Amino acid sequence: MKIENEDALDNFVICHKCFTLNKEIPIKDGSKAYCSECGAILYRYDSKLIDHGLALSITGLIFFVLANLFPLIQIDLLGSEQFITIPKTIFSLFDNGFYIVGLICIFLIFIFPLMIFIINMILFMLLKMQRGEKITKELLVLLSHITPWSMTDIFFISILVALVKLIAFGQIHIGIAFWALMIFVLIDIYITKNIHLSEIWMLRKRMLLKKDTA
Amino acid sequence: MDVEKKNAFEEGYSVIEIDEDKLIPCPVCDAVNIDKGKKNTCRRCGSAIYHHRSFSTEKSWAYLITAMIAYIPANLYPMLVTSAFGTRDESTILGGVVLLWELESYPVAAIIFFASIMIPIMKFLILIYLLISVKYPIGKDKKVNKHKLYYMTEVIGPWSMIDVFVVAILAALIHLSSVEIVAGTAATAFAISVFFTLLAAHAFDETLIKDNR
Repeated sequence: MKIENEDALDNFVICHKCFTLNKEIPIKDGSKAYCSECGAILYRYDSKLIDHGLALSITGLIFFVLANLFPLIQIDLLGSEQFITIPKTIFSLFDNGFYIVGLICIFLIFIFPLMIFIINMILFMLLKMQRGEKITKELLVLLSHITPWSMTDIFFISILVALVKLIAFGQIHIGIAFWALMIFVLIDIYITKNIHLSEIWMLRKRMLLKKDTA
Repeated sequence: MDVEKKNAFEEGYSVIEIDEDKLIPCPVCDAVNIDKGKKNTCRRCGSAIYHHRSFSTEKSWAYLITAMIAYIPANLYPMLVTSAFGTRDESTILGGVVLLWELESYPVAAIIFFASIMIPIMKFLILIYLLISVKYPIGKDKKVNKHKLYYMTEVIGPWSMIDVFVVAILAALIHLSSVEIVAGTAATAFAISVFFTLLAAHAFDETLIKDNR
C-alpha cells in the first residue's frame, strides 16, 4: 500500500469491532457507512451535526439538573414518608462509612455524566464558532477517556430493580427526578449511539480546513 | 521497520510505502496510525499509542488479579443487611438471587444473577484467555474473533455495577429505627472488583491481537 504522506491515513477507518481496515468514502447526508467485514457502523455523515449535538447536550443538561434536584422515589414506610434524590443516595453511602463505594458512585453517576454533557456543549459551541483549535483537541481527548466511565443508564436500570425489591416494604411513589433521569438516559444513549467521537474529529478537521482556505 | 520513505524526485513528492498490517487505530481517538513500535504518538490527538510494549500484558494482568482477589470477599461477605423489628438478616449476592427467585420475581433474579455473577466471571475468563493467547499460541487454529470478544467484554463490563447501585438506593431509602437496610462489606469489595476489571479491560492492548486479521 502506498500513500503520499501520513495525513492521507485520514482516508482510512479501522472498524472498532473487528479491526478491519476500511477506506473512507464520501456518503450522502444522513446515511451511514458500514464495515465491509462485520457490518458495524463505521461513521455517519450529518451536515447539521453541530446543531443536533448542541441541542441534545443542552437538553440533556437541563434534564440532568432536574434529575438531581427533585425526589427520585418516595416510600410510605410505617406511617413515615421517606424520599431520596440522587445526591442524597450518594451521601448516605458516605454517612454509613462506605467511602470507597461512595467515591466510585459519585464519579460514575454524577461527575462523569455531568462532565460529558458540559464538554459536549462547549465542544459543539466552539465548533459552531469555528475557533479553539487546541482546546477542542484537548476536550476530545478528555471526552474519550471519561465516556466509558459514565453509568447513568446502568443506574437507571438499578432503580427499576430496586423498585421491585421495595414493593414488599410499602407504598411507592415515583418522583419527578425519575422521569427526568429517564429522559436524560435516553438522550445519553442517543448521543453515544449516534454521535461517535470520530465524527467530531472529522468535523474538526473539516472546520480547520475551511479556516485555512478562508 | 517496514516503513520506507521513497523519494520520487522526478515527480516532486514523497511516497511512503507501508504494510497494511502496520496500521493501528489510536486507542483514544481512533485515527489510523502507522505502528512505529516503541515511542509512538497519535498524529491526530497526540496520545501515546501503547508505549509500554515491554510490559504490555503485565499491567492488565495486575488489574485483573486485583479484581479477582476482590471478587472473593464480595461473594463471601453479606451484600445487604436488613434489620426489621429486632431481627437481623444478612444476604450475600448469591443469597439475594436465591431469595428473589423464591419470591417469584424471576426477571429481577435473572438480572441480578447475570450482572453480579455471570458477567464478572465471564469477563475474568475472557480476559485471561485474551491475555494468554496474545503471548502464547493457544487457540490459534480456532476461528474465534478475539476483537469481537474484547469488544463484548467492554460493552457488558459496566453492567455488573447494578447490584452496587441497588444496594445504595435501598440503603439510602430505608433507614428507620425499626426497619433498616444497610450495605454490607461485600458492596465495597464488589465495587472495587468491578472497578479493577474495567481498568484491566482498558489497559489491554488490542493491537496485540494480530492473528485474526
